[in-house]
Amino acid sequence: MTMQLVKGGEAGPAPRIGRRSHRPVRTLSHRLRPGRLTYLTLLAVMFFSAFPLYFSFVVASQDNSALGRIPPPLLPGANLVDNVRRVFDTVPFGAAMVNSVIVAGTITASVVLFSTLAGFAFAKLRFKGRTALLVVVVATMMVPTQLGIVPLYLLMNQFGWTDSLQAVIMPALVNAFGVFFMTQYLREALPTELLEAGRIDGAATHRLFWHVVLPIARPAAAVLGMLTFLTAWNDYFWPLIVLSSPDNYTVQVALSNLRSGYVTDFSLVLTGTLLATLPLLVVFVVLGKQIIGGIMQGAVKG
Amino acid sequence: MNSSTRSRLYRWDVKASPYLYIAPFFVLFAAFGLFPLGYTAWVSLHDWSLLSDEHTFAGLDNYQRLLGDPYFWNALRNTVSILVLGTVPQLLLALLMAHLLTMRLRGRTFFQMGMLLPNVASVVAVAVIFSQLFGRDFGVINWVLESLGAGRIDWQAGVASSHIAIAVMIIWKWTGYNALIYLAAMQAIPRDMYESATLDGASSIRQLRSITIPMIRPTVIFTVIVSTIYGLQVFAEPQLFAGGGYDTVTGGSSRQFQTLTLYLYEHGFNRGFQFGYASATAWVMFVIIVVIAVLNYLLVRRIRSSS
Amino acid sequence: MRAIHTRRFLAAGLAAGLFCLTACSSSDEPDAASNAGSDGEAITLTIGLFGDFGFEPLYAEYEAAHPGITIEERIAEFSDHHTNLTQRLATGSGTADIEAVEVGFISQFTATPDRFHNLLDLGADQLEDRWLDWKWQQALARDDSALIGLGTDVGGMAMCYRTDLFNEAGLPTDRDEVSQLWPTWEDYVATGQEFMAAADGKYFFESSGNMFRAMIEQAPVGVYDSDDNLIVATSDHVKHAWDLAVEAIEAGMSNQLTAWTPEWTAAFGQGTFATIICPAWMTAYIEGSAPDAEGLWDVASVPGGAGNMGGAHLVLPAQGENPEAAYDLIEWLTAPEQQLKVFQETGNFPSTPELYDDEELTQFSKEYFNDAPIGQIFTEAAQLVQPQYQGPLQGDVLTIIGQGLGRIEEGAQTPDEAWTQVLSDLESLA
Repeated sequence: MTMQLVKGGEAGPAPRIGRRSHRPVRTLSHRLRPGRLTYLTLLAVMFFSAFPLYFSFVVASQDNSALGRIPPPLLPGANLVDNVRRVFDTVPFGAAMVNSVIVAGTITASVVLFSTLAGFAFAKLRFKGRTALLVVVVATMMVPTQLGIVPLYLLMNQFGWTDSLQAVIMPALVNAFGVFFMTQYLREALPTELLEAGRIDGAATHRLFWHVVLPIARPAAAVLGMLTFLTAWNDYFWPLIVLSSPDNYTVQVALSNLRSGYVTDFSLVLTGTLLATLPLLVVFVVLGKQIIGGIMQGAVKG
Repeated sequence: MNSSTRSRLYRWDVKASPYLYIAPFFVLFAAFGLFPLGYTAWVSLHDWSLLSDEHTFAGLDNYQRLLGDPYFWNALRNTVSILVLGTVPQLLLALLMAHLLTMRLRGRTFFQMGMLLPNVASVVAVAVIFSQLFGRDFGVINWVLESLGAGRIDWQAGVASSHIAIAVMIIWKWTGYNALIYLAAMQAIPRDMYESATLDGASSIRQLRSITIPMIRPTVIFTVIVSTIYGLQVFAEPQLFAGGGYDTVTGGSSRQFQTLTLYLYEHGFNRGFQFGYASATAWVMFVIIVVIAVLNYLLVRRIRSSS
Repeated sequence: MRAIHTRRFLAAGLAAGLFCLTACSSSDEPDAASNAGSDGEAITLTIGLFGDFGFEPLYAEYEAAHPGITIEERIAEFSDHHTNLTQRLATGSGTADIEAVEVGFISQFTATPDRFHNLLDLGADQLEDRWLDWKWQQALARDDSALIGLGTDVGGMAMCYRTDLFNEAGLPTDRDEVSQLWPTWEDYVATGQEFMAAADGKYFFESSGNMFRAMIEQAPVGVYDSDDNLIVATSDHVKHAWDLAVEAIEAGMSNQLTAWTPEWTAAFGQGTFATIICPAWMTAYIEGSAPDAEGLWDVASVPGGAGNMGGAHLVLPAQGENPEAAYDLIEWLTAPEQQLKVFQETGNFPSTPELYDDEELTQFSKEYFNDAPIGQIFTEAAQLVQPQYQGPLQGDVLTIIGQGLGRIEEGAQTPDEAWTQVLSDLESLA
């Protein structure tokens, strides 16, 4: 199930064309002039992409009675600030944000570090069993860790970790995708000559890693980091099961709990949704181009 | 440090470092990925409940009970239905979008970003927002339908309608992402292939079918498999779509949109906390996922090679 | 060499360090609090509720009178709340110091009294007379050796109705006349027929599940007999209630709402249904969901006689580390004076009979409900309640039957199919 990796361009010194051909060819991009229909289609897609988020903003700025209105409200109201305040009153949303930052941050740091280490080894170092182990890594990408939740829960219970952030962090500290991603990237981007030169100078492996590999891996590490952060931030199933006290909730769990107030207040729920999405939206707007480049470069789902 | 120690160290470094570097991944993965999966098998052979300290060996009882439970088959049907409804249009749409994006567009980055925007929202956010949009009495979608002269739909009540609603959530979140992946693959296709096709008078859509798709086959296979694995584990969308009460666990009062993961959740982490039974469910799900992924792979490969 | 190791351990330790940091801080908090507690210093008491119990203003009062005590409230959704409580009790961690348990779930927990602090040891043995006898009994372990909870409210029933919708449908709006419309549930359904004939796009009630539950709560024996046998399949009363609910569904009376969903809440605001079964606590939900409908709702008597629907106990899970302080708080919260304040604030009706001839209770009325004398209505309702034995999975059983009625409402099943499935679901429940 190895797939072809296609290098998208700007990010990193990788060759523009994938492994299939190293001979420069004229590629598909910029080949056709788009017609009016193309633009219309794309604009329609833009509308459907943005509308649900826009709508959640609209509802978040209304009071709850707006939800029962026909026609539904389509323009923002004046209650946003009030709703935000109530979100923080209803569930410990601030704590949840902090928890999510800790969880997603730790996971991201760990995944990026360990993936780069392993990716470096798999891409450029010689050792016995390399191919076989890499196959194992790729195969494990198929294993949905979600299916191990029962024993995972028992395990965490055994350690006394249920209802703590470790329980959420530990199982996510590494993932096969990251290793695979970094392996593929470093194989292309890391010049073997550079490593050999370092070897001849007598540099130990960890020096090579630190001074040669890391700088070159940085663009891919950034992409992997962003994808990992996104996934960790948005994770729901496992945190929902293992976290029980509101002080330890991550944002997503707190969000699903916002519906539990004594009168279900949808303006409140959607305000929470908006707040939970906002940090990612900001990151997205600032770093969107790189994220897109990264996805296209990895050409795989995170 | 004399030179012989140094060279011994050096050899040691060259030999051991690779293993040290891959060790964290394998150790952690074994502990929190592989071990639980194996342990699941062990638990699944027991009558094992969180609420009791006794875990009696039960052999294959749990599996037998599971396969004899009509609700399990119902959940499997629902899952496959949502999977098909959510994946097929999603990937076709993604292909089309990617195709459009290969053109010489103004505001290309804008379109790319707009397309990826939904992917930033968490599954919880998606489910919460769309549950509102699909609301029976006050939802925007029903309001639009009604204004167009079509009737209201009780999206949650019906089997088909609820599956469509959940599929829409999946499609909305993932289409742009897959479009970008396809776009990346498409950009590597040599341009002369299209030029000769154009000379032969092949239309744009025709070119998409006969040149582009075969050329990006590995990428297509990959997205199909990943989407399938994702689709088979759908949880938050149906859980939050139910609105409230026990319906959130059963996927509606008729279990009309209870998925396999939700079924697992019902037995393992809700009523009864039957870990043995839930573990059996997990293993059966795992087998199903592998089987469907392999089938997918074969199917997609065949379609390509026959065209 | 050393450098390699240092780096490697640094690397491996980075993540570990980070989460340990957070873990330590989060798991240290309760310890710190409890250690401090024994020295008479600051204690945080957490209290886990489903829905709003109206305790909020009381916390401030209690905190002011007890320096060093901070009260933290957690509110969860009804069914989540009880599931989570079960899970946390089983794993031995994660419960609040004080947890609320609804009457439908209390016997599930009295079956394992060792998971709770025995309130008889903490001073409750002196207080038996404070509560309605059956309320006290409900929280007793089977062998009477332990008491796991103190009663908050009881849910004597009435019927809330929209005067504007009744008026439009040509029905009387005066609460006594309305009460006379429906001495029995058959009369209630007949009134519904009349309402539906005249009402345009409105419904007679919100959900048939609630109607069914009300009928069940009025029977001397509900879904369990006193030996914990499920009698749903054989009870004439259950069958009768089911059939009547089905009749009402088939006449199109139900708005098909599931309680506690956003749709349900919005429907209050829009006034899409005319009546709702009103245990005292329901009045708070009506008011909260439809603040603009002041004066449109009124309260009449419930068909079919008295019965208790809902109400709760406050329990102290054994994992709570400050049982004395927690006990003091729940004793205070459930004392008659506080129950009266809660009633005046939210409508949750006291379970302490000494209030039942207190004028502050009996003379209480609410503008929102058209000045209906709800104090008097609910006092009478509570006094007439005959205790009904609640089985171990009472709440789940009612949920399953409610889902069955839901399937009929949605048109997914015929009444017979739904009933068959209810029975088989109940079988796999046990």
